[in-house]
Amino acid sequence: MMKTLALIQLTFRESFAKKTFIAFFAISTMLCFLFIFALNLDIVDGVKSSVSLFGKETGKLIELQKILLALEGAVAVALFTGGLFMSLFATSNLIPSLTQPGNIDLLISKPLSRTQILTGRFLGAVSIVAFNVFYLVIFSWLIFSLKTGLWNWGFLLSGVMIVLAFAVLYSLMTFLGVMIRSSAFSLMVTYLIIFFSPMLLQRDKIYALLSNKIYGYIVDSLYYFLPKTAELGNITQQLVRGVPITSWMPLWSSLLFGIFMLGITSFIFSRKNF
Amino acid sequence: MLAIETTELTKYYAKGRIKALDHFSLRVEPGKIFSLLGPNGAGKTTLIKLLLGIVYPTGGSAKILNQPISDHHTHEQIGYLAENHRFPEFLNARQVLYYYGKIAGVQTVTLKQRIPDLLKLVKLGDWAETKIRKFSKGMLQRLGIAQALINNPRLLFLDEPTDGIDPVGRREVRDLLLSLRDQGKTIFLNSHLLSEVERVSDEIAILKDGKLLRQGRVQDFISVKDQYQVKLSANEKHFREICQRLAIRLQEQNGAYLVSVNDRKHLNQLIDEMRSHQILIHAIIPRKISLEDYFIEVVEDREEGQ
Ligand SMILES: Nc1ncnc2c1ncn2[C@@H]1O[C@H](COP(=O)(O)OP(=O)(O)O)[C@@H](O)[C@H]1O
Ligand SMILES: [Mg+2]
Repeated sequence: MMKTLALIQLTFRESFAKKTFIAFFAISTMLCFLFIFALNLDIVDGVKSSVSLFGKETGKLIELQKILLALEGAVAVALFTGGLFMSLFATSNLIPSLTQPGNIDLLISKPLSRTQILTGRFLGAVSIVAFNVFYLVIFSWLIFSLKTGLWNWGFLLSGVMIVLAFAVLYSLMTFLGVMIRSSAFSLMVTYLIIFFSPMLLQRDKIYALLSNKIYGYIVDSLYYFLPKTAELGNITQQLVRGVPITSWMPLWSSLLFGIFMLGITSFIFSRKNF
Repeated sequence: MLAIETTELTKYYAKGRIKALDHFSLRVEPGKIFSLLGPNGAGKTTLIKLLLGIVYPTGGSAKILNQPISDHHTHEQIGYLAENHRFPEFLNARQVLYYYGKIAGVQTVTLKQRIPDLLKLVKLGDWAETKIRKFSKGMLQRLGIAQALINNPRLLFLDEPTDGIDPVGRREVRDLLLSLRDQGKTIFLNSHLLSEVERVSDEIAILKDGKLLRQGRVQDFISVKDQYQVKLSANEKHFREICQRLAIRLQEQNGAYLVSVNDRKHLNQLIDEMRSHQILIHAIIPRKISLEDYFIEVVEDREEGQ
């Protein structure tokens, strides 16, 4: 346990040393602040002043709540999409750098199994992303809540969802990193999957274009197998807005994909010659 | 208990086209300094990587500290200096020892005490807080040695430990190895050259093209059987006559004589004759050749034989 913790710490240090994370941290903070302040001042404050003007008129309060939820939902989706892209980018080199000759030899010579080494690295990447994402989510949530006086705890769930989605996609990055050892390639494939996720979701619209039923099955299987980032984004928004979730399938099937990828990668990693 | 034991250990690369290690059997006693010598590409690094589970064998088996090599728990008692090790550049010397010590399972309290001592031991005491990207090759190598000692291992693997280290530094490494051996540690080192460090080995093995050529104690390698250096006070012409009579081959070498006898009795016959002719003997010394010459001889012999 202590050994894995040391691996996680080392991964943290590497991320910060690589500057990509510092940049990610700074840029995302700046963007979100700009975004948050611009929206806050115009809409929320305006509604709030009218609320206090009419005393305890509940109709207005409900209206404010609606606007806040819509706003937070929109911000959550923006954080989800932007956060995922940036987190993947910032952590893309962690697996190829782990398997560098001279580094991996030394780690294997330590009293750790190969699975522990890989898990330590994976958890290191996930925890640094979690650290960054929660910093953003909690910060913006505090600003919204303090400005409106309405504390929507559901907004915090967006942080959980972003980290889970990241973990799922990072399991794929880990697989590709171990197989190909190229951060650019891993990143490209993972971005492609995010990009195609909404299309696979709308696959019933392309059935008509497919010449053979077989292709339909293939598209279907792809949909069920691959991480469903588009729907995870929707679930995030619904959680934030307090809308009941109709289906958790996209979440658990994506998590299954992640576990499956990690299992396969660990199997391959444990048999590799370095 | 043996420190290292391999049985027909084999590693092929490129689907058998490269025989990095070929049915290699070796036994290393504990508490010794053991050197594996051989030219580049002989398979020395491959052997260490197999023993540490970094690559997997094509055939055969091996044990370290009496445990099969597949068991990573044994690694708590080993230290390793990799051939071209690469520590994360963003760390300073102290952090390298701290993190790799932690990963090796050493308690923080122990590390706090041990790190300054180790840095002093490898003469990096003043560089503890310097980022290692500013280190020279020699400094990195010394840090690598300190890293290998961070868990106070019983068995130490050093792959080309004198790489990048200057002659003075080599002497220090040699003294360090001797003191570690005196603490009861087993040291296994790889080298493609013979420096002072290899010379302090208790035992050496010579590897070439994945095959073990020789193994033995250093003394056995370097003393040449039945050849003696004879030192006399003056250029004695009687001496030549005696040698001729006894059918002893004689060479002159730097003002001394080199005699080749059949056996010990033959040598004593020579001495008797010399004394009876009143020849004053200064010294009779068993002939030794340098390990370096021997090493080159063995390795080249093999090349011609192919
Ligand atoms: N990963 C690998 N793939 C293919 N060939 C390799 C690999 N590693 C080592 N070799 C080959 O195995 C042989 C032994 O290499 P090595 O053990 O590094 O030798 P040494 O350490 O004695 O210089 C060399 O011919 C080398 O090219
Ligand atoms: Mg080597």
